[in-house]
Amino acid sequence: MSQQVQVLEPPTTILSEIWARHQTAITRLAAVVIALGLWEWVVRAGKVNPLFLSSPSLVFEKLYEVFADGSIWPHIASSAEIAGLGFAISIVLGVPVGIAMGRSRFIRDSTEPFVMASYASPTVAFLPLIILWLGLGVWSKVVLVVLGAIFVIIINTEVGVSSIDKKLIETGRAFCANEREILFKIIAPAALPFILAGFRLAIGRVLIMVVVAEFYASTSGLGYLIFQAGANYDTALLFAGVFILAGAGVILNSAMRWVEGWIAPWQAKNSD
Amino acid sequence: MIEISNVTHRFGNKRGAAAPANVLENVSFTIADGEFVSFLGPSGCGKTTMLRIIDGIILPSMGNVTIDGTHVRGPAPSRSMVFQEFNLLPWRSAEKNAEFGLELEIQKTKRADRERIAEENLSKLGLKSFGGYFPHQLSGGMKQRVGIARALSTAPKYLLMDEPFGALDPMIRELMQIELLKLLSADNRTIVFVTHSIDEAIFLSDRIFVFGARPGRILDIVPVDLPKPRWVDDEKIKASAPFVAYRQRIWRLMKDELQRGMQHAD
Repeated sequence: MSQQVQVLEPPTTILSEIWARHQTAITRLAAVVIALGLWEWVVRAGKVNPLFLSSPSLVFEKLYEVFADGSIWPHIASSAEIAGLGFAISIVLGVPVGIAMGRSRFIRDSTEPFVMASYASPTVAFLPLIILWLGLGVWSKVVLVVLGAIFVIIINTEVGVSSIDKKLIETGRAFCANEREILFKIIAPAALPFILAGFRLAIGRVLIMVVVAEFYASTSGLGYLIFQAGANYDTALLFAGVFILAGAGVILNSAMRWVEGWIAPWQAKNSD
Repeated sequence: MIEISNVTHRFGNKRGAAAPANVLENVSFTIADGEFVSFLGPSGCGKTTMLRIIDGIILPSMGNVTIDGTHVRGPAPSRSMVFQEFNLLPWRSAEKNAEFGLELEIQKTKRADRERIAEENLSKLGLKSFGGYFPHQLSGGMKQRVGIARALSTAPKYLLMDEPFGALDPMIRELMQIELLKLLSADNRTIVFVTHSIDEAIFLSDRIFVFGARPGRILDIVPVDLPKPRWVDDEKIKASAPFVAYRQRIWRLMKDELQRGMQHAD
């Protein structure tokens, strides 16, 4: 009766199974390993002076050393303090400003020129002025970080708030929600995925600004460490600092993505 | 009782646009308590606008809207809306969506009561075990059941339904009509139901207000005298001579109106 239909399928082996499942991860890992291998090879083969390029093995050795003797921690702590303060202040100030801009046409029209100009301009240029005003302490660096991070938060929040489905607000009104309830029960949750995406974009800018600020106005921190290492031709230490920053960036970025997926799971599946 | 007298509505003139025809012109009617009334008409005839004016989300440019002797100045808890696109909050589970109206200050309902009422309404709509699902995990029919549960949670005297089954596929749509009648048979709610399906209007309504477009106005009011309850033997009712006669009468009316409108457009 039931004729078995011959289905042509490639024979599955454990290896092909693993490949099918983790293709992206495997490709990424391979690319990184090959790149590091090439780097190691050009230095070891004497094609490049290790003074200028160091090598992966030297960098990892240095990383182990600075973590083992603990000499890196004060620098990380110092950078983290500035990054954390700057990021927190950007959020506390940026989100309400973004919401106000998204809700009120008057506020949007009157603030947009400043926000857009600041967003598009290299805010690092303000550093000398900020140092002039605030000196070389923590706060001049925090202010620079805020200048670097706040506008992307403001803009994302504003877009999230102003692009909200009007039908949802109308639904709230039909159920007699007051203005506060419309804001907290409808607008805020609807804009949350955009706001979180703004935070994620801001993290990258925070890291850049911390390093730049520490180049010029610091006696500690990863930026200072990298700058000093460069001045002393200690390229292994220089790369160690860069690796730590890159690692922090990747980890924070993935963490934010995870938070976004956790808080707004409907976002990905809502495209129908 | 809903009393509408001489309602005319026109949307705000956009700069540069030609003066628009009235969306509604000089519309008057009354709806008695416990009635099921359908607004039937082609797109652009102002039937949805009329529904929103009854709810109070829109205030008419001219005319009077009085509900239970009170002049309507905005939405009120005595009226609940069910929307064509469901308008569920995507970040809330079915249960939390069904609780939404009760959470608002105007309702002042305790958490335990909210949860009980939401659960009761969901199970009345056959969603007992779906309370934890999010809208994106539900089918269109299920989403609208949540929409109806949400509307019923505030125990409104008037249920205003804006093409509630318009986004559903035809078979689910007929099923939902039957379930709506069953659900409403238990209470004496007043329903205003917007649709552009003639059969849907005949099957559900006590009276059908047939709307014409440009300007939006009521062409005719058709009382539907079919046996109740209609969900028993619904296929027989839908094939019965009176049902077919109603359909013919209404279609003739609408066809004339549509053809007149098309000549106008040429």
